[in-house]
Amino acid sequence: MDLTFLAFFAPFIAAAFAPVLVRLLGHNAAWVLALVPALIFVHFAGFLPQVAEGGRVTGGVQWIPSFNVNFSWLIDGLSLTFALLISGIGTLIVLYAGGYMKGHPQQGRFLCFILMFMAAMQGLVLSDSFFMFFVFWELTSITSFLLIGFNHNAERSRRAAMQALVVTGGGGLILLAGLIFLWNMTGVSEFSLLLGTGDLVRESPFYLAALILVLGGAFTKSAQFPLHFWLPNAMEAPTPVSAYLHSATMVKAGVYLLMRLNPVLGDTIAWETILPLFGGATLLVGTFLAVRQTDLKLMLAYTTVASLGLLVMLTGFGTEKAIEGAVLYLVAHSLFKGALFMVAGNVDHEAGTRDVTKLGGLLAAMPITFGAAILSAFSMAGLPPFVGFLAKEEIYYGIAASDPWSVFITTVAIVGNALMLVIGFAVAVKPFLGPKVETPKSAHEAPLLMYAGPVLLAALSLAAALWSGLFHQFISSPMASAVAGAPLEITISIIPKPGIALTLSIVTIAIGAILYFGLARLRAAMAASLEAIGWGPDQGFDQFMRGLVRLSVVLTRTLQNGRMEFYMTATFVLLALWLFRTMFVAGEWPAVPAFPVLSIYEWVTVSIIAIGLIAVVRAKNRLTAIVSLGIQGFAVAILFMLMGAPDLSFTQFMVETLTVVILALAMTRLRLSPQDHRSAGQTVLDGTIAIACGVALTFILLQILQTPFDRTLTEFFNLYSYSLAQGRNIVNVILVDFRGVDTFGEIGVVMVAGLAILALLRIVPKRSLGSAPAPRVPAPEPVAVGKE
Amino acid sequence: MTAQELAQSLVIAAPELLIAIGAMALLMVGVFVRKESANAIVTSLTVALLVAALGWMVFFAPMGPAFGGAYVHDAFTFFMKMLVLIGSIVALVMSVGFAREEKFDRFEFPILIALSTLGMMLMVSADNLLSLYMALELQSLALYVIAAINRDSARSTEAGLKYFVLGALSSGMMLYGISLIYGFTGHIGFDEIAAAVTGGERSIGVLFGLVFLLTGLAFKISAVPFHMWTPDVYEGAPTPVTAFFAAAPKMAAMAMLVRVVMDAFQPVTADWQQIIVFISIASMVLGAFAAIGQRNIKRLMAYSSIGHMGYALVGLAAGTVAGVQGVMLYMAIYLAMTLGTFAFILAMRRKDEGNVEQISDLAGYASNNPLMAAILTALMFSLAGIPPLAGFWGKWYVFLAAVEAGLWPLAIIGVLSSVVGAYYYLRIVKIMWFDDAEGRFVAPAGELRLVMGASGVFVLAYIVFGGPIAAYAEAAARTFF
Repeated sequence: MDLTFLAFFAPFIAAAFAPVLVRLLGHNAAWVLALVPALIFVHFAGFLPQVAEGGRVTGGVQWIPSFNVNFSWLIDGLSLTFALLISGIGTLIVLYAGGYMKGHPQQGRFLCFILMFMAAMQGLVLSDSFFMFFVFWELTSITSFLLIGFNHNAERSRRAAMQALVVTGGGGLILLAGLIFLWNMTGVSEFSLLLGTGDLVRESPFYLAALILVLGGAFTKSAQFPLHFWLPNAMEAPTPVSAYLHSATMVKAGVYLLMRLNPVLGDTIAWETILPLFGGATLLVGTFLAVRQTDLKLMLAYTTVASLGLLVMLTGFGTEKAIEGAVLYLVAHSLFKGALFMVAGNVDHEAGTRDVTKLGGLLAAMPITFGAAILSAFSMAGLPPFVGFLAKEEIYYGIAASDPWSVFITTVAIVGNALMLVIGFAVAVKPFLGPKVETPKSAHEAPLLMYAGPVLLAALSLAAALWSGLFHQFISSPMASAVAGAPLEITISIIPKPGIALTLSIVTIAIGAILYFGLARLRAAMAASLEAIGWGPDQGFDQFMRGLVRLSVVLTRTLQNGRMEFYMTATFVLLALWLFRTMFVAGEWPAVPAFPVLSIYEWVTVSIIAIGLIAVVRAKNRLTAIVSLGIQGFAVAILFMLMGAPDLSFTQFMVETLTVVILALAMTRLRLSPQDHRSAGQTVLDGTIAIACGVALTFILLQILQTPFDRTLTEFFNLYSYSLAQGRNIVNVILVDFRGVDTFGEIGVVMVAGLAILALLRIVPKRSLGSAPAPRVPAPEPVAVGKE
Repeated sequence: MTAQELAQSLVIAAPELLIAIGAMALLMVGVFVRKESANAIVTSLTVALLVAALGWMVFFAPMGPAFGGAYVHDAFTFFMKMLVLIGSIVALVMSVGFAREEKFDRFEFPILIALSTLGMMLMVSADNLLSLYMALELQSLALYVIAAINRDSARSTEAGLKYFVLGALSSGMMLYGISLIYGFTGHIGFDEIAAAVTGGERSIGVLFGLVFLLTGLAFKISAVPFHMWTPDVYEGAPTPVTAFFAAAPKMAAMAMLVRVVMDAFQPVTADWQQIIVFISIASMVLGAFAAIGQRNIKRLMAYSSIGHMGYALVGLAAGTVAGVQGVMLYMAIYLAMTLGTFAFILAMRRKDEGNVEQISDLAGYASNNPLMAAILTALMFSLAGIPPLAGFWGKWYVFLAAVEAGLWPLAIIGVLSSVVGAYYYLRIVKIMWFDDAEGRFVAPAGELRLVMGASGVFVLAYIVFGGPIAAYAEAAARTFF
């Protein structure tokens, strides 16, 4: 079996065993479990030389042949870098979780969820087939839901978990629609094949629709403004989750998708406008909101939002340098942000609080953690000699130009970067230096399990910059090439070269330094202005959800009010509309018929029908109405007779009699109120609907009458009545010979109906058995059915 | 019809004959056994009868037209009748425990189910408008009584009466439509109608007939705007009755709708397609939005069923092989999901309160009974259409068919409303896993556990065995082309 195939499932298997292992080994189970991601890391590292030479590895097995869905993977510079980040940081996170969650009663479950997430995320980046990609995409949302809601006794966690699931899961479904669009436009359902179809996609009339749907998925997952709110709320999760899912890996899935599709969807005006716009807004909003926070994790969370914005913005530019900057920044961000989150976790774990204003002077107690923190903060601030510096230089090369749009974007980037520098140092320096502050717990250094991760990641931030040649050769250049869809060579190193980028860097650092010392004042100003606004998308989400519920309630109250009358009204209104619409669409209205020439008998009968109808409508009580209806029916029967159809007339007489009798019996026995209880307005409305339906049906009848008469049957009976049935009266022959069985059936029906009347007559209302006459009760209101 | 043709017809329709004769015999049994044990005996005998009919159909009944073209049994009817029978059998089995606990001892109930099942099988097999109408009425009349079976309860009788009045109205419209179609084409057989409307001018009369006919059919599958009876009947009827309503009749009515439009009116696809698209969109959207505010789980399921019918109609709207295949698979998957969910609703019993129906009653279910909660979670995810569960594949097929047929807006509205729909399914999951428990449910009866387990396995493992089912459905869908 292919080892890559095994790598897809290994974390799932490990997840299944995690609870048992924790029960057996306690928190040391983390050492065993971390072997799985570590081995996966080694396995994928083996692909590095091949990919560095521009190779692309695809493979797979038939999954569901009948659906034409394959389990196929694609390893190129982009997915390989992601896979290495996921498995590498995953190894450290599992170890870290071993220490962080030590003694927690549900540690086994936690490790299980984390490993499940790892499998999902890894599957996401390696998937070649759209369907696998989508399945893993939604799996990351679900595992993220489980992890955010891990502390499910807290209301806030539950809300955050649900919110994240609604936003990212919903985004996933939008993405699915986008992928199906792409599939239909190109006919391929695999990324490796899709990459060659860029021109086809860009010229398709559905390009914009597909783009917007794909962005819907990517922006929700990668927390772009204004859908960014779920990410800070997700900080309710235990810190290993924040470090792993909500900074290093899952939230980058959206960026991954954009980078993956850049060769297909990119290089258009829409792409180059929408992405930088949303990305830039996210960058600014994220950094400003980060400044406002005092909780270490929230500060980091908002800078994560900002970083994601930066990445989206750069991907949107799509120039060589911008892509190179994005690639470098993505790797750098994963390293330093993962480390800083773990540092924040260590501080919280050891000192008992994450509030930056209540921390200080921890350096003596936690020197190793501080070491990792300060190195990562340097990388985050974009200072040499760290990989963050390389990234920022490259970014400035990428966006610096002289047109107004670039100047604006550059300003945005500088402000964002400066604020990120501020936050980085606030997180890494403030808790450790300065006078010692009394903390809830007396702090001391975190255990090996917990500092191994941040130290290693910080060291990597340094190493990647120091040996930038190797780093570029194996990681960043192949990745950038995959994103650009053409070979790119990154050359930047830690030796600063004078130029526009360095100037901008120095400006950034200067602004950052000034802001750092005014941080307290800046924070107060931000807090005040946010309070003045008093509304954010987070509340918006709640309002939206509440609005949905209210809409639903209103909808059901009006449409489903439990009243039969309303249901009937709705049915008839729709019927009338539908009939008129059919005539309208078909464009066939009946011609106005010629005024009929009627005999005096016919005139009399027609007037009786009209009078009968008026009597029905004006009748004061039900019995009168029923009888009047009967009169009208009998008149119709007479009309049939006058027209020379005695059989039809006879049937009509019988049916009419039975109808009147049954209706009268049923209505009188139901003990309904004798009066019509409708209001005048209601009567008018009902009348209008009735007339509309009547007109519609009349039109139909007129149209039917205006179609040419089919004489086949008439001629048949003329010809054969005598020869076949020996009868000269055609009507008689039809009734007793040609359709004798039908006549027999009709008689049977009438007889059964007569029996039913008999049965009705024999029913004696129970209550009227007593001496007192049954009270006439008004028509009962509908019972509570259907009322919320 | 010669004697030989008649004999052949009787052999083809043997499963239906078996049910018809069996139901009448059981009526006698019910009258003559002791009153206290009548329901239990008749229920078990009815289940045996339906299982026998199913077995007969699967193993012995040959395929082909019968009764001079009034009836047909082919791969499509085989598939749909199997769903109908499974739905009826499972719903009946699930009523056993309820009947015992609630002293719901009316032996007429299983017999009425058998009769309505007979009607449904005939509906599925009907090959002309007259047999279609007769079958539909047989089914409907039995269902009217079943909806009001608990006649001491005001809610149940109100539900039954509403269903009856609206149902009779729709039947009347349908009959009107049928007579128009007959009048204008001169035929009642589906194939002959198709031949009559092929090519040339189709007259406006046929179009009106089609509108009336579709109105009646839309009522039977509870598609918007003729869905109004559904929530009231679902909530008002006793739960086993609701379970039955949600399962078998939907299968039969959808099969009938598919046959009418794909067989008799395939030449005028454009005419009915716009109607189907409209009711599909309306059903999906209303099903999604109206369900959000529900507190009663049976009412929620009513809206859910409205929405699901909308999704199934997406496939029908496509009017292609893939579309019909999608409808068939959607219905099969929906049947499994809805039966499983109703098994849970029936299992929502507390020791002192009896059956409870509020969604909030599920709070803390996960901590009391994690396995059951896990299965229900899977069912909810599946209803929401989250991959890789069965419900996703159902949606997948219908949306795919719609996209291939060029009905992009329909597919997109479908996906969007399923996003909204996911909200209320996920809310149930959230309540089960995260809210604090209010009290325990009593241990569910064995048959309910069986149904839950089976439907859980179905939704989880569909991805494994879905291939052959899809292949069969595709072959069956080809009978129309």
